[in-house]
Amino acid sequence: MSAARGSNPVGAPETPKVLGGKLPRIDGPLKVTGRAVYTSDIALPGMLFAIPVRSTIARGRIVSIDANAARKLPGVKAVYHRGNIKAFFRTAPPKGFSGLIDEKRPPFEDDEVRYYGQYVAVAVAQTMEQAKAAADAVRVQYAAAAHNVGKQLGADKPMKVESERGDADKAFASAPVKVDQVYITPTEVHNPIELHATVASWEKGHVTLYETSQAILNHQDVLHQMLGVPVENVRVITHFLGSGFGGKLWPWTHSILAAGVAREVGAPVKLVVSRQSMFEAVGHRPRTQQHFRLGATPEGKLVSLSHEYLNQTSELDDYKEDCGEATPFMYSVPNLRVASALSRGNIGTPTAMRGPGAVPGLFAMESAMDELAIALKMDPIELRKRNEPTQDESNKLPFSSRHLLECMQVGAEKFGWAQRDPAVGAMKRDGLTIGWGVAACSWGAMRSDAQASVEITREGTAIVKTATQDVGTGTYTVLAIIVAEATGIAIDRVDVQLGDTRLPMGPISGGSWVTASVIPAVSNAARDAVKALLGMATSGPNPAFKGAKPEDLQLVDGRVKRKGEASSGVALGDVLARANVRSAIGHGKSATTMGGAESRKYSLHSYGAQFAEVTWHPQTARLRVSRFTSVIDAGRMLNPKPARNQIEGAVVMGIGMALLEESRYDQRYGAPINSNLADYMVSTNADAPPIDVTFLDYPDLVLNEMGARGVGEIGLAGTAAAITAAVYHATGVRVRELPVRIEDLLGA
Amino acid sequence: MRLTINGVPRDVPAGDHETLLAVIRERLQLTGTKEGCARGECGACTVLIDGRAAYSCLTLAAGCADSAVTTIEGLGRADALHPLQQAFIEQDALQCGFCTPGQLLAAAALIARTPRPSEDDVRVALSGNLCRCGTYPKLVRAVMQAAEMMRAEP
Repeated sequence: MSAARGSNPVGAPETPKVLGGKLPRIDGPLKVTGRAVYTSDIALPGMLFAIPVRSTIARGRIVSIDANAARKLPGVKAVYHRGNIKAFFRTAPPKGFSGLIDEKRPPFEDDEVRYYGQYVAVAVAQTMEQAKAAADAVRVQYAAAAHNVGKQLGADKPMKVESERGDADKAFASAPVKVDQVYITPTEVHNPIELHATVASWEKGHVTLYETSQAILNHQDVLHQMLGVPVENVRVITHFLGSGFGGKLWPWTHSILAAGVAREVGAPVKLVVSRQSMFEAVGHRPRTQQHFRLGATPEGKLVSLSHEYLNQTSELDDYKEDCGEATPFMYSVPNLRVASALSRGNIGTPTAMRGPGAVPGLFAMESAMDELAIALKMDPIELRKRNEPTQDESNKLPFSSRHLLECMQVGAEKFGWAQRDPAVGAMKRDGLTIGWGVAACSWGAMRSDAQASVEITREGTAIVKTATQDVGTGTYTVLAIIVAEATGIAIDRVDVQLGDTRLPMGPISGGSWVTASVIPAVSNAARDAVKALLGMATSGPNPAFKGAKPEDLQLVDGRVKRKGEASSGVALGDVLARANVRSAIGHGKSATTMGGAESRKYSLHSYGAQFAEVTWHPQTARLRVSRFTSVIDAGRMLNPKPARNQIEGAVVMGIGMALLEESRYDQRYGAPINSNLADYMVSTNADAPPIDVTFLDYPDLVLNEMGARGVGEIGLAGTAAAITAAVYHATGVRVRELPVRIEDLLGA
Repeated sequence: MRLTINGVPRDVPAGDHETLLAVIRERLQLTGTKEGCARGECGACTVLIDGRAAYSCLTLAAGCADSAVTTIEGLGRADALHPLQQAFIEQDALQCGFCTPGQLLAAAALIARTPRPSEDDVRVALSGNLCRCGTYPKLVRAVMQAAEMMRAEP
């Protein structure tokens, strides 16, 4: 991917200011012309299509599978099930970001059905239609057992304490002002518009998987283990990803099935997961039930904070939604206890969804803080000011960079918070009642291991390679920016290669840490390549700068010249030509912060403040989010344009979380009943209000030399809490179970 | 059957039951048109049929024999982007890009019938095209910019 490729007439501005400029994303031309090739667009010679057969019970046993009728249908090549396919293996316990899979039982391992929609067989045919017809014709007999898809969560084991200081119970008992409430977030489904898909092709024991993956190297590792082939025999490619929001981080059973089926039939196989299956078998954010108890003095100083929560998980897998992630460090409080447990149900295995843990956790905590402010008759921003910590009280570490109060203050000014009349229903406009709400947000700032190579070519271009992915956040562009910044080679002459396991080890596209992780690796690789180039300029039989030392030279605008001299120097291509080499190659690495020195010395997080305005029409119970202001402290912005887009998009998703989204289970059959995009509503264009995004832009130099943190997730944190606070302000109704429904407001 | 796609008449050996989306993607390998739900909910498969935006997943190919079908591959050329495509890039009105072809064609249909759309016109016209990345504010800005560019052109 390069900005030069595909002749972009709008292209980069005349004099691109690389860092912090407003560059268009370099993959834009491919995406607006339909030439960006996504996984389901791949067509290979002789390719067949696979469609899984989904269980129609949520718990029980498969008694028999009759595929005779299905096999006789036109175009059908085979129907596979547990009885006639080479078995798959389980993975060993994960190491770091390798071997990670949430649904650990391989497909077809046993005859037990644990959730509705579990794959029990798979049909393969010449066309997708034929495969679908065949899958529908497979007759499966079940011995159904009682299932549990209930909404009421119950701990399967005693609560486990995650963080504790002082005595939260005792301090709460004697606190003069209290909030004691349960907050619930529903099952939410990622629903990227791109369906999960796998195209698997085998050749001589090697398999190439075109995948919809946010983590191709982990995918390679898991598939090598589950298929029982050497890791070097598995290649995973994801050049373009139609987003994922966490749902495409770890492999799901369809990928293993596609690879297994392709091995059996001896032809490439494409398997595209249906929208219905996206609600069943590729993960979701699980339902959470969070009990918050806050105790405070009449002056608004927190004395006790207790956060006990449950999240739903599947029968077989221990997926934990880490709702207490931000609780221990967000505010100053001497007595604190965070504890959690799991609740099991006959549902597909949950997985990380955008801002896992912190997003539902902060909905609960920020709602509780708003309720406390109301109990205290105090402005909610003032309440946060009075409880701003000077250090991370959970581990007594200094914050690397925390500007939460400035976010609040800037947001208040931009939003016009001073005009707020705190009385419920007091603010009116055009016959509508206006509600204003605010919430704080946070997301961890992390860096993971990464490697990269940069190759400077005779043509004066640079090629950067790393096995990461671009989920739509702009990673192609960020990598080009880093190389352009470090080498002085124009950004439209940088070719970015990612999304292939053959490239140097790159980070997963999760946790908002791709940018922070690739900066050191790519910067180092770029500088290493420049160093190699300058070395070639001064050594060998025919150097361009005979007698000079590499440190006397520099690379400027694609030309090598002596430092401090006005001469135009020598084009880098000529330097390489004189040295008779094809290119100058450099390598670089980044080291993770997880368990690293920085994380032992600093508390690393991003912060922000979310301000929501809702309009409420009491006669019709019509509720809209009419305006939103988001102020984010996420380090230095490398490229504010896509970064702003990330925050706006997360706010749009947050409006869906607050008002629209819930995957509901049919209690009779255990099926996700609204498993389509008409009944599981997400925000549409008409739902999106004007969104004002501000970045404070304080570099976090603890994290990397450019001071950049990530912005993929933080925009969703706190958004729903700001909206429900605004709903309360307009209507007097506090909604503690998302999403807000018209029924909740009818009594207002 | 004979279909006219992007101005080119093509004979396609498709059955009467095949959707326009399946024919475009599977038989003609024009993969810029995407499938996101296969039931008219997401808008990723939007194409123009005689200038009007349509969900190709809900349209039978056989019904399009007398129509002109435009897919994203026919909206502009790589070396001469359509003003909408230019505006989408300039306004960063995309993230993952998967819904982008459908958004562009829905926008093209709007501008064809309403050369001077209001922002609300754009919101309504594009509300049949879901963008899970949530680039809606930028989509509105891009379509407004493109409409202006197109009015300025002869």
